[in-house]
Amino acid sequence: MKKFSHVNALTIDEAVSILRRYGDRASLIAGGTDLLGKMKDRILSRYPEALVNLKTIPGLDFIKEENRILEIGALTRLEDIAIDQTVRGGYAALAQAANRTASPHLREMGTIGGNICQDIRCWYYRHPNNRFPCLRKGGGRCYAIEGDNRYHSIFGGSVEEGCYAVHPSDTAPALIALDAEIRTSKRTIKAGDFFQVEVTKTTVLDEDEIVTKILVPRPPENAKSGFVKFALRKTIDFPIVNCAALISSSEGKVSAARICLNAGYVKPYRASRAEEVIVGKTFNEADAEAAGSAAVSEAKPLPHNGYMVQIAKTMVKRAILACG
Amino acid sequence: MKEAMSKFLCPYCSTTFGVFEELKAHAISDHKTESVPAPEGLIRLTVNREVHEIQVEPQWTLNYLIHDRLGLTSPKMFCDRGACGSCTVILDGRPILSCMTLAIECDGTTIETAEGIAKSNHPLLDSYVKHHTMQCGYCTPGFITTSKAFLDRNPNPTEEEIREALSGNLCRCGTYPQHPKAVLEAAKNLREG
Repeated sequence: MKKFSHVNALTIDEAVSILRRYGDRASLIAGGTDLLGKMKDRILSRYPEALVNLKTIPGLDFIKEENRILEIGALTRLEDIAIDQTVRGGYAALAQAANRTASPHLREMGTIGGNICQDIRCWYYRHPNNRFPCLRKGGGRCYAIEGDNRYHSIFGGSVEEGCYAVHPSDTAPALIALDAEIRTSKRTIKAGDFFQVEVTKTTVLDEDEIVTKILVPRPPENAKSGFVKFALRKTIDFPIVNCAALISSSEGKVSAARICLNAGYVKPYRASRAEEVIVGKTFNEADAEAAGSAAVSEAKPLPHNGYMVQIAKTMVKRAILACG
Repeated sequence: MKEAMSKFLCPYCSTTFGVFEELKAHAISDHKTESVPAPEGLIRLTVNREVHEIQVEPQWTLNYLIHDRLGLTSPKMFCDRGACGSCTVILDGRPILSCMTLAIECDGTTIETAEGIAKSNHPLLDSYVKHHTMQCGYCTPGFITTSKAFLDRNPNPTEEEIREALSGNLCRCGTYPQHPKAVLEAAKNLREG
């Protein structure tokens, strides 16, 4: 890696002031598993001049439940979330999603705040030494449309940026299905509004904004949540498609549903068509499959990723059945 | 304390010190000052129960520090992108990838490498040899550190749990079937003392 300066922030305010001073020339580092890979490969034309270490800020690593709201500090490691009994009990989709993220080692390092703020994995974007200066880097074109797009969006590209790279997070769909909120140094944002496609950005966060904690309301007693993921290998790999669902039922019939797919679109993709179809039905293969078909009814696959439509459909079906 | 690799210059009388703590004590006793601020990048960490005080550059990874500077060669550099587990060390009880950790962020931590586990005569060593859990051996220190951290937390694991815990370690010789056997036996030996 090239040389950079390194600052240990001791408070959120200090980190914010350093970010303001450096503008976009500084990067935040928490677990570092995403950022260091980007820096080693020099995928961006601009190398960070400074890293601001958030791990030295006390009080951001906790899991607690108060007044039926689960609070998770932004620096909480994914492994701690995956094994926490409270999370596993009341917020199964989140625990399962954290447990399926990357490999055991990376879960011991990566934080929940970093997981939702991670960058895209498009192989043109990530190619070493900025070989493909694509739209997402402020360049001229998307290389995936004409190139090998087997892991790209099946629901079309981003209208603003023309980018087809999918959002790779596993915890993001779980947080959206559980209707979580993300508290930052400035405001509170609904998980569903948190993700955005912009040049070198995947979230709505401002340049000087830092995620501090995640708030998840406890699902009602008659609700169950679940998370399923399809990846080439069981661990280490990013998802081809994943899906989280939160389904309330009364007397065996679905009364409300929140279903979110990820890694199939440029942002986490709320499967609202599937939600409409499954409400009022019982938990059975045929209805779950119908909901899966509805979820992908608006799919516009690229030349090489038609198979992902089938996977997305099956993921929705399995996520629904996992909540039964 | 292990001999430090940096030299510290007293700002008042230019005497050099091998260890920053000595310079601090010298400034307070001989020059009647409060203290001297620690230079940037000076970290203190415990590796295999030995305390090291060392001046690091921000861009050094923990793997570079341990492997190339401290000379402990068990954390292997293989993928350098956090995808193979060969560089695993135990940092404050967590099995982590030293290639994806910045050395400068490890101030005040306690680290254990395969050398430390070997010195402590952990039962994993015998069971790994007995079950012939290596061919070329390059990935083995990563597996050993991951297994040790796992057994520290879970002394009575099932085979399924072992497979899950070791799933982030890659072995290109294909020794995978032997690892759960070796770890199960080590766990049994640990419990029986």
